[in-house]
Amino acid sequence: MNCIALLGQPNSGKSTVFNQLTGSRQHVGNWPGKTVEKKNGSYSYKDKKYTVVDLPGSYGLSGNSDEEIITEKFIKGGEADLVCVLVDASQLERSMYMLADFAAMDVPAILILNMMDVATKQGKKINDGLLAERLGIPVLPFTAADGKGFEGLKELIEKELASPHKLITAPDIKSGDEVTSASKEKFEWIGRILEGVTEASSKEYKLSKFDNVLLKPFWGKVVTVGIVLAGFLVAMLVMSPFMSIAGELPKLLGKPIENLLTGIHVHPWLVSVFSLLIPNTIYFCISMASFVFGVNLVFGFLEEIGFLARAAYQFDGVLSRLGLQGKAVAPILMGMGCTIGGASGTRVMDSWGQKMLTMMVVWAVPCASIWSIIPVVSGMFFPVWGTVLVCLGIVLYIFLLMFIVSKIFGRKLVPEETRTGMIMELPPFHKPHFKYILKEAWIKCFDMFKRALKTVTLVSLVFWAFSFSPSGNVESSLLYKVGTFIEPVTKFFGMGWRTFMAFITAAFAKEAVLGTLNAVFAGQSNVADIAFNASTGGVDTMALSQIMSQTISRSEALAFMFACTFSVPCLMALSTTLKESHSFKWTLRTAGFYIGAALILSCIVYHIALPFLG
Amino acid sequence: MMKLSEMQKGTYGTVSSLGSDQRFINRITSVGLTEGARFQVVKNDRKMPVLVYVRETLLALNRRDCEKIETAEVNEK
Repeated sequence: MNCIALLGQPNSGKSTVFNQLTGSRQHVGNWPGKTVEKKNGSYSYKDKKYTVVDLPGSYGLSGNSDEEIITEKFIKGGEADLVCVLVDASQLERSMYMLADFAAMDVPAILILNMMDVATKQGKKINDGLLAERLGIPVLPFTAADGKGFEGLKELIEKELASPHKLITAPDIKSGDEVTSASKEKFEWIGRILEGVTEASSKEYKLSKFDNVLLKPFWGKVVTVGIVLAGFLVAMLVMSPFMSIAGELPKLLGKPIENLLTGIHVHPWLVSVFSLLIPNTIYFCISMASFVFGVNLVFGFLEEIGFLARAAYQFDGVLSRLGLQGKAVAPILMGMGCTIGGASGTRVMDSWGQKMLTMMVVWAVPCASIWSIIPVVSGMFFPVWGTVLVCLGIVLYIFLLMFIVSKIFGRKLVPEETRTGMIMELPPFHKPHFKYILKEAWIKCFDMFKRALKTVTLVSLVFWAFSFSPSGNVESSLLYKVGTFIEPVTKFFGMGWRTFMAFITAAFAKEAVLGTLNAVFAGQSNVADIAFNASTGGVDTMALSQIMSQTISRSEALAFMFACTFSVPCLMALSTTLKESHSFKWTLRTAGFYIGAALILSCIVYHIALPFLG
Repeated sequence: MMKLSEMQKGTYGTVSSLGSDQRFINRITSVGLTEGARFQVVKNDRKMPVLVYVRETLLALNRRDCEKIETAEVNEK
């Protein structure tokens, strides 16, 4: 077996190389007994199969974190036939640190000088021939993101596996050396290696004009948030045609399928499954996948040009008060678009604890999908200024909830003594590689879509069984029976059985909320029929508004809106949290906390609002 | 002797000491801020991370961490 390992600091472009090499032939799991992610992939070259291991991202190999210990053990264990060490050519001296740490290990290796395009743009020249001669291993100038040099890389890997090279030099470090003197020696070694390989770098750094604005303490934050919102707007424009087409699916497919199946005397249960359940499930999945695609497109772009690093700089102060650090800003902003995207965006965090805590905080951010429902529901009960107040209240509560989450779970996930502040490179602004951004967004969106089909279908089936009514009247459905049975309890939390059922579907998919409301309030025809006809197009909001405002109080509506917004974001957010955290326990804990907190919130809002709103 | 967090924008310095927190020392030296390393303070605003240029890299460092780093100012560029 030909096993290749990729080693490099975060930001060295390691995952870009991994993704471009292996495409979608990836397997993500856990390192035994640890919460550290294990990523394997494979590719074929000249009829031979190669396994690629993406080693956990770390800054060195000094055994300071689970990531570093795993990486060191893996390399020393000799499982890899060849280690590809990646460095950032545009910041060569600093990023060679990983190679300096690696040099002590007696393993075949090659050095990849990634991001050569940025280095060239900066006018940096690197004598890779001399570098290779001094190190004793092949050195490959490379630009992973443009996807062009991979044939060359595969060829080099093939050659090196046949006749491997090892490093012929290493920093002079004794086992008793202090950390400070050891790292000093490592950089002195790097200095000796690079002498004459690159010209001495400029000693003065001047911020660009754009940076001067973007990094201002107050206005920089305003501009940062503005740019992100503009990004979302673009994403919405791109994605909305797809979403509306998907939204038409249930309407277009439903009737013909129903007629066809009824015509050949299929049991009404099955007719309902094929004409209602399946088209709507596909619609939910496409809608969620569109969100994931849009958010990843925008943030892939913002990451590539170097914008997100500036955003992290801006918000480090605020986030460290939550026990997080600046890097958490990207997933949180992503969460404003889509919680699924935000949860998978937590990969940039330095440790598992920070990653998990960031995910829990991201859940507190209402996604774009909720913002499309709240004004509609609020508008049924309140005048425009009332709706503005509702939205304002929701925004304020986001901050409070984030604070509560960090207070309850912060100490456990990121203990005080392990809290490290932000240490982050600000890369120079550079041109994005659009092809790569599109490809990455597509892979993420398609992966989510596949998972969604499985999970959403299963849960849809359960919900459908609950809401199916043989007589066509809401009162003969299981949903009604269970709902009214537990109503005395839910009433305490401010929600009657109708709103409570919609609250439950909100945790499943926000796209299903309006449909459920329509089903439980209108109640005349088949519940399943309306509940799954979930797109806004299928709901007559005028008619629904009339029935709803006659059936429930304004306090209940307010309580429902808050509960709905701050409960479990959606089934796929839950599934993604499990996938990213690799911890069943913490995923359950997160879901349990949010459901509980939403009910308490609903209870408080209802009882406070009752004397004023009635 | 001066803490990194107290240095003015546009000044140059070298690292004298990194404190005693081993985790922090490991992490900060791995990005090139070692004892004796020369750097430029690119930006240092109140309540914001400090921007430092060291070994061809612009680094953003958490403000509280910068209080652990003792520096000596260097006059010439």
